[in-house]
Amino acid sequence: MKARSVRQSFLGDNSDDAFQHLTIAIVGLGGGGSHIAQQLAHLGVGQFVLVDPERIEESNLNRLVGGTFADVREKEWKVEIAARLIRGVDPDASVAVARDRWQQSADLLKTCDIVFGCIDSFAGRDELEKAARRYLTPYIDIGMDVHEEKDGTYSVSGQVALSMPGEACLHCMNVLRPELIAQEAAQYGAAGGRPQVVWPNGVLASLAVGIMVQLVSPWHNHHNSVILLEYDGNTPEVRVGSAVSFLRGKTCQHFVDAADLGDPWHGQAPPP
Amino acid sequence: MKTIFRITRSLLEGIRKDLRRRHVHAYERVGFVTCRFGLVRWADLLCLAHGYFPVADEDYIEDRMFGALIGSAAFRKAMQLAYTQNVGLFHIHLHGHPGVPTPSGIDIRETAKFVPDFFHVRPNLPHGAIVLSSDSLSARIWLSAAAKPKPIDQFSIIGAPLMTIAGLR
Repeated sequence: MKARSVRQSFLGDNSDDAFQHLTIAIVGLGGGGSHIAQQLAHLGVGQFVLVDPERIEESNLNRLVGGTFADVREKEWKVEIAARLIRGVDPDASVAVARDRWQQSADLLKTCDIVFGCIDSFAGRDELEKAARRYLTPYIDIGMDVHEEKDGTYSVSGQVALSMPGEACLHCMNVLRPELIAQEAAQYGAAGGRPQVVWPNGVLASLAVGIMVQLVSPWHNHHNSVILLEYDGNTPEVRVGSAVSFLRGKTCQHFVDAADLGDPWHGQAPPP
Repeated sequence: MKTIFRITRSLLEGIRKDLRRRHVHAYERVGFVTCRFGLVRWADLLCLAHGYFPVADEDYIEDRMFGALIGSAAFRKAMQLAYTQNVGLFHIHLHGHPGVPTPSGIDIRETAKFVPDFFHVRPNLPHGAIVLSSDSLSARIWLSAAAKPKPIDQFSIIGAPLMTIAGLR
């Protein structure tokens, strides 16, 4: 075991190797994804795929871990900031970056062992979960929201969900619903910048990383493949989502067709 | 080319449970796993297990020379699946011991006879044969009817916990 891992040796004799051989994708390197990148580097994850089409702006400095004022001046890519953060912790880490939408780099995601989704829109999360399921890749989704109440106060909330192929998906857990996606599409262009702050992102990212560690190098025997954690930033509390007790042991009905798996064109006859 | 076989833990456990059922006269049970595929950077191949189809009780032939001998009806039904669902077919059976299983001489001889026939219905998809043990698995894949089979390089068991198993060399 490496010296840097001594204090996490309870994760198992082989945990160093397990983390070292992992390939993890993080889609979205903003407030949530940057926290996750930093924590995975500290854990010792060996291979990263970082995907984000955006450059840092000054309004990101309130939450983007690793981002500096100099980066804003240079209009640095968010993926490059995360890559620098990772290499600063572990110079041997392999980091592939895509300064693009993940759909343009879908091939990179196919080989990943786990995909983290840290993107704002419901439609985007729906698409990313479908892509992960297509290649039987566990998908860990984080979502955060600051909502203005009728009395003018704000509530901070969010959730972390594990979408494990063969088990409950984000639709099963009610994290994604057709009406949410439709509502979002109807408001397209009118939403403006949604409120975001650093600490709820940190809480949600930490929960997400904990889920990943339990999958890869469990330190206990309570294996759980249906996970939905709901965060109430006002109380503040983290609770197990109410849907979970109904979903354990149930088969997901949203991803059942053979056509939902693999490259859609694979197996088609070559053109004459 | 590296071949990676991914299967969900729930599907794998369901298959093991089914293959452990006793048959009236066959010593062991067999079935078929259907697969879809993905190419990575036009080089590596992902084999993605989709479903499991056990051979029906009545499709076993009584023959004490074999642990399980299945008739043409079993193959016809499996090949029908491959044709209608556009999937690759992997024959699967279980060895009772723990550890990475190696195919027996009979496994190698018999699969070499029937796996190439799967290409009659799905010539553009790979097909193969899987051997399970009580806690592991190994598999060989045919990329064409004429090609020699090659071992699957790596298995990923998708579930909690995640598990990666190196293939036979």
